[in-house]
Amino acid sequence: MRKLLPVLLFATLTSGAFAQQTQKTIKKILISKLFTCSLDLMFDTLSKDYHLNIVFERDSVSRYHVVDHFLNESVKDVLDQVCGRNGLHYWIESDGIIYILKNMDDLSRLKKLNALTAIGKNANLQRVEPPKGPPRKFNFPVNGKVFDQTTGESLPSATVRILNTTLSTSTATDGLFVIFNVPADTCVVEVTYSGYQTERFRLDGEKIKGNLSIQMYPSLNTLNEINILGKKSGVMNTDAKKVGVLQLTPASLDKLPVMGEKDVLKAFQLMPGVSGTNESSSGAYVRGGTPDQNLVVFDGFTVYQVDHLYGFFSAFNANSVKDVQLYKGGFSAKYGGRLSSVTEITGKEGNNKQSIFGLDLSLLSLNAFVETPVNDKSSLLIAVRRSYQGPFYDKIFKQFNATTVMAAGPPGGGGGAPRGFGGGGGFGQQVTPSSHFYDADLRYTYKINTNNSLSWSLYTGEDKTDNSRDLPSFNSSVSDNKITDYTKYGNFASSIKWFSNWGKSLHSNTYLTYSSYFNDRNRTNSGVNETNGVDVAFSNGTVETNNLKDIGAKSEWDWQLSNNLKLLYGGFVNHQAINYQYIQNDTSKLIDQHNKTLLGGGYAELEIDPTSKLHLQPGVRTTWFQSTGKMYAEPRFSASYTLNSNYTIKAATGQFYQFTNQVTRQDILNGNRNFWVISNGSNIPVGMARHYMGGFSYENDQFLIDIEGYYKTLDGLTQYTINQQGFGPGSAGNATLKEAFYTGTGNARGFEVLLQKKMGYYTGWLSYTLASAQNKFAAYGNSYYPADQDVTHEFKAINMYHYDRWNFSAVFIFSTGHPYTVPLSSYTITGIDGNKITAFNVGAKNAVRLPDYHRLDLSATYDLLKIDGNKVGSIGLSLFNVYNHKNTWYREYQLQNYQVITTDVTYLGFTPNITLSLRWK
Amino acid sequence: MEIKKQLLILSAFFTVLFSACQKSKLENKGTDLPVIESYLIPGQPILVKLYQQKDLTDTAVYGSPITGINVYLSAGSQKLLLTETAKGNYTYADQSILASGKTYTLQFDYNGYAVSATTTMPRKPSNFASQYVGVNLPSSSGPGNASNTVLNVFTWSNPDSLNHVLAFKIVSGAFPVNSFDSSRPVNSQINTDRKSQYDVTGREFPYFGHYNAILFSVNQDYINLLDNNTRTSSQNLTQIPTNIINGFGIFTAMQTDTLSFSVQ
Repeated sequence: MRKLLPVLLFATLTSGAFAQQTQKTIKKILISKLFTCSLDLMFDTLSKDYHLNIVFERDSVSRYHVVDHFLNESVKDVLDQVCGRNGLHYWIESDGIIYILKNMDDLSRLKKLNALTAIGKNANLQRVEPPKGPPRKFNFPVNGKVFDQTTGESLPSATVRILNTTLSTSTATDGLFVIFNVPADTCVVEVTYSGYQTERFRLDGEKIKGNLSIQMYPSLNTLNEINILGKKSGVMNTDAKKVGVLQLTPASLDKLPVMGEKDVLKAFQLMPGVSGTNESSSGAYVRGGTPDQNLVVFDGFTVYQVDHLYGFFSAFNANSVKDVQLYKGGFSAKYGGRLSSVTEITGKEGNNKQSIFGLDLSLLSLNAFVETPVNDKSSLLIAVRRSYQGPFYDKIFKQFNATTVMAAGPPGGGGGAPRGFGGGGGFGQQVTPSSHFYDADLRYTYKINTNNSLSWSLYTGEDKTDNSRDLPSFNSSVSDNKITDYTKYGNFASSIKWFSNWGKSLHSNTYLTYSSYFNDRNRTNSGVNETNGVDVAFSNGTVETNNLKDIGAKSEWDWQLSNNLKLLYGGFVNHQAINYQYIQNDTSKLIDQHNKTLLGGGYAELEIDPTSKLHLQPGVRTTWFQSTGKMYAEPRFSASYTLNSNYTIKAATGQFYQFTNQVTRQDILNGNRNFWVISNGSNIPVGMARHYMGGFSYENDQFLIDIEGYYKTLDGLTQYTINQQGFGPGSAGNATLKEAFYTGTGNARGFEVLLQKKMGYYTGWLSYTLASAQNKFAAYGNSYYPADQDVTHEFKAINMYHYDRWNFSAVFIFSTGHPYTVPLSSYTITGIDGNKITAFNVGAKNAVRLPDYHRLDLSATYDLLKIDGNKVGSIGLSLFNVYNHKNTWYREYQLQNYQVITTDVTYLGFTPNITLSLRWK
Repeated sequence: MEIKKQLLILSAFFTVLFSACQKSKLENKGTDLPVIESYLIPGQPILVKLYQQKDLTDTAVYGSPITGINVYLSAGSQKLLLTETAKGNYTYADQSILASGKTYTLQFDYNGYAVSATTTMPRKPSNFASQYVGVNLPSSSGPGNASNTVLNVFTWSNPDSLNHVLAFKIVSGAFPVNSFDSSRPVNSQINTDRKSQYDVTGREFPYFGHYNAILFSVNQDYINLLDNNTRTSSQNLTQIPTNIINGFGIFTAMQTDTLSFSVQ
């Protein structure tokens, strides 16, 4: 073991403190000098006189000349001037070296050059300082926190290693880590994180006394450089050591084609196992699951409405998100309440070093944020986004709206107009409805002391379409005649998190959470009718409201017992209330549900590493559910085994329960409505799933190959149907609704392949999924049929090319068509009132498939940089569905004069978009 | 070597995973099955109409009649052969076989299918009464006139909460109440939800005229047909329920009571 100690490290093994020092130095040193020489000579002079390490390519820099007299100007100003004038940039690396760059991509070349020169000279070799003396302390733990030097934001999922040992760990969501049994207090610690320069420093007696506070410096936006296995590098990463885990870095999202907005949820749809063909849903269809089976947690609270604008955009503003993890199944006992998967979103804490303002403008929306320190203990982030009704918004709105109306119009009755008043068609003039969405995030973080902090997070978002209008009076007896017609849905949620460090190895996060969801529609025609001299106010139409309120508390504890053993445990309690009302003509309540329930429970999980190669993670979660009065136990287990540094085998299994479900009310007149219901153990059962998944991965410094397979069984699935009478123009009397909940079972299996090129100018991945998802509902027969979301083959190619300040990307998606049900024939009989009833002979449920789905998206982004290489923004152009392929969403069968007219309802065609992002400090 | 072994195990895992994947056979009904329309109502001729299904592009109201079939109606121990009096219309002259509580079975063979359906005659509606012999709709037109004010109440005895359907059939008149609303059919029917009362408001009647208010005591089979409106999207098409085995449509018994009712 002693041989580890004389660590030989070449090149740039330094501490980030150098960069800070250099930054201060070049601001502090004032120059009063006349230069009339070539630029290389000027840099030589500056290097020599002020002990700066400036690296440049002499051949190219010597072509520039400088003739200038500087009077009491700082070196920074001088560099700004001379570089700016000659189209050059300078960049300070974390080792304090100043690089003069013509193109951003020159950095790596210059660094290599510098290293070679340094070795050649055998002098000026920057390295981790040698140990001050022989080691004094052995086998002790180190703990600390990793954060961004420029913003003070903690960095989750960063890798911390003790060089020349097998000791390594990843930081938790709050940037914390602990490593036990560090061999000696002279070891070198290395920290790596995507988008940041690698940090290396040597431990000493002083440092190990307290918590390590490790600052990372952002790296220049340049080609990815990876030389360590398992390092997270790109916009989208797979954790090769775990089964079914995806990680996204929102900061790098602009490298992918965007539809109007950088989208944290849509990006996951480019990975294997997450369906990429549901344009009308930001919710994740993960491994044969549906979006409501995917738990979305944002800063501790559950989010029930995850998208805007008919699912085209996710409800989360990428500017306020720090990190997103998607667990595709077999997930930890820490999470529960959903059958399929978990998306955990961690919000940014806000910059506690300096104020930053940002603005993103696209053809769809305006997005602004501010991050600022409030005082030395607290920071604030506010991000607001609102759509405006430009041509781009209208195009999407109409795509997802006119089609719903087409489904709505009674045969021969007025289709076309978006969301017209459904009641009888043709009520006077039609206006374009006003429609928008907005969302806002607020996060306030307060550091009580080094071991305790509080953060308050608030999120609100809404989509509203308003088509209310005044109507001309039909005759003199009717006044104040108007139509109220709006649909609005969204979330309001908040959480308070108390983080506490109880020592080197134990910390906890305790949350108070509130999350509400609403989905309201009001369609009424109201006014005053004067009959025989008496004014009678009337109000005809329907008002539908669904809201959910979820109040909870939870505490999550993380106890690192040793390097080989970690205990995760915690408890939670939630009160959920759901109201659903459907009122017609002010008086008759067609649906009137008020349900409440209480959930409570706990979890415990061990992370065991018996050897450095084997990782075992057994856990159990139990939930008591008031509505059934039963206890639900969910055992979980995952494991991985590293064969050698390249190969890993992994597996996971577990049992999962779901207590609230989202169901769809089919509404042929006005468009489908989604709402949430609470299981009651009888006609809405508690859902249960079992997952079995396994895989292996191969990773070298260039490529990652990840292959995974899964099998899931599902029980207690719920589908909702509603039979309505008295709505259409053909029926008389008061409307009645009959609700029916169908329950069924299902299974899903699949096989996923990911081939990722991780570094170079060209990066990207190929993803292939072979899958099957089946359901069995007695209402559709006694055998399994392909579930609505079942897709057999899905192929995705994501290509990103980096060239200097440009990022180009091309995304191609191909998938087998979704299954659907066809009418085979029709028949007509006469009812007892003499009116005719026409019905379809409907073919087997989901027996046929829509045409294959495919599309190509392209984008180009140009970075706007300051002279000192820091990014101030970007301009982007994206082209969606470049070759305008008509992808079918569903088919519509309408009866016209007893004939069935078939219409294909399609997804979005070719759509261009421009985005502009700006940042100010 | 070790790795190869692991790969072998893995590939075996995936083979097992997918060998379980088989195309399942789904139940659906052929397009060559017959469509039946038959209501056994005492006081009305016994009539069974048989049609073929229609192509989706067919513009005809009804499918082609099915002719030349031996159609049997069993009533208790009797098995009666119906007579084809018009194309696809099979009748039986003696209405005395229809009686409350009796079970009827329709049987025939078609395209190699044994087609059958069974129904039981419900009790005749009793104590059917109307509060008024007619109603006067408010004179003004426009959307406001369809108020929720109860204009008339129909009542009947229903101690066992049986299914009843109330139908309004025009006898004479049919002048639109509201010029904006002339697309609605003249006749209508309402499922009274196993109640013993129905409140008439102004919005029921789009036309002025003299109506027959007919109360039907019906079986659940007819309610199932009435309750299911045809869905039109490939995302949610479902088969409308039928009580016919190897066929579509309805074969059901019912009884009626009729009152006159005017809308002025």
